Amino acid sequence: MASSTGLSLKFSPLSTSFKQNKVRGICNVNSVSLPSRGMRLGSLRLRVSCAAKPETVDKVCSIVRKQLALPKDSPVTGESKFSALGADSLDTVEIVMGLEEEFGISVEEESAQHILTVQDAADLIEKLVEQKSA
Amino acid sequence: MNIRCFQRNFSAALPPLVPLQLPSPMETHLWYVLPDEVKSWGLLNQYSELLSPCEREGVNRMRGDQLKKRALLARALVRTTIARYQTNSQMNPRSLKFRKNLYGKPEVEWRDEDNFSPLPLQFNLSHTSTMIACGVTVNVPIGIDIEEKQRRTKNNLIAFAQRYFSAYEVKVLTTISDPEVQRQEFIKLWTLKEAYVKALGKGFSAVPFKTFTIRFRETTLRNFHPPGSSVSEASDIIVESFDDPTNPTNNWQFTLLEVAGSHYGAICIKKDRTAGANELMKLTVWKTVPFVEDVCVSGTDAVVDLGRIIEQ
Repeated sequence: MASSTGLSLKFSPLSTSFKQNKVRGICNVNSVSLPSRGMRLGSLRLRVSCAAKPETVDKVCSIVRKQLALPKDSPVTGESKFSALGADSLDTVEIVMGLEEEFGISVEEESAQHILTVQDAADLIEKLVEQKSA
Repeated sequence: MNIRCFQRNFSAALPPLVPLQLPSPMETHLWYVLPDEVKSWGLLNQYSELLSPCEREGVNRMRGDQLKKRALLARALVRTTIARYQTNSQMNPRSLKFRKNLYGKPEVEWRDEDNFSPLPLQFNLSHTSTMIACGVTVNVPIGIDIEEKQRRTKNNLIAFAQRYFSAYEVKVLTTISDPEVQRQEFIKLWTLKEAYVKALGKGFSAVPFKTFTIRFRETTLRNFHPPGSSVSEASDIIVESFDDPTNPTNNWQFTLLEVAGSHYGAICIKKDRTAGANELMKLTVWKTVPFVEDVCVSGTDAVVDLGRIIEQ
């Protein structure tokens, strides 16, 4: 569509002009969420020592790509947020279902609710897989 | 900003929003934007000026222009919609503050230092790649969800339903033989379930989809007709919850719509205490391009009520 191409040329100045790096109040480092989700910062520290294996992250990335029909060159990494990739709630639920089938696990709604990034999903998967074999 | 040379018709100040009376109890207002109708880059830039720095950061985090545009329009829609209802003085949409409740549901944060008075309204937002919608009520919780009619699941539909829906709902879906009709009914059910959970506002884990059933129920609307006239049969949409006795499910009213010929939309509101037992939710729908055009589409074929089948 001609109009959207024209738009994409002009969006870059739009985004760089909003590079305000003030982080205040409710605006956390990783997400625009409640202070009560500040537990996310705690999990940031945990992540360093208990990070999921790269293979797990890769499998999650591939399931996410498939669900969201992302172009091959679109980068998806552990840091990628599902919402930023365009996943809506139906996509997220489908992704969780895909992960359950791929890894033979069962994800409770409480846990699923905290999955915001690919890394979150990979970490949860490894935790559940470990619990299953324990 | 040097983008001004690209603007043609827009002056620096945006025209005022057309003010509107708040909905009455048991009335819902629904506003929707079609992103494809918003092509002016100057207008989008002006919308972005309405956002808080935090919201703009959120928009910039979205991957790609289409998602950025969608996120921008969603915030602009919420802000301009709420600002419309301040009829006493001009509320600048930019001045609104938002926060999330304990469970993450967005709400307006009214502050004493603002020079406009708090409005007793509640809202809920939903979007797809081709529509963004915002529902507004007075005082009662509201949840809305929209989905494109053509939406397909990647997983097998029945497998998905078996994993997430209640047994009754799976049964209803499985007995539909036409796969296209089955897919449509699945999408409708999904939007209704989403709308309910969003209206409850306690997060998805508080009310897992499997723990409640949404279905159609035949009702007889006797008290709307004078004596001697024929009685109407109607189908109500109701929710039955399995394990939450503190939440009587006849507190919630549902509306299921087809919007703009392209989407299914579900609205769930909590019944106002003062409302009569059989009082129906009144709904008014506008298609909008904020600051440019508002069109009331109620009563046109842009809004088709799917949940109420009145036969006489």
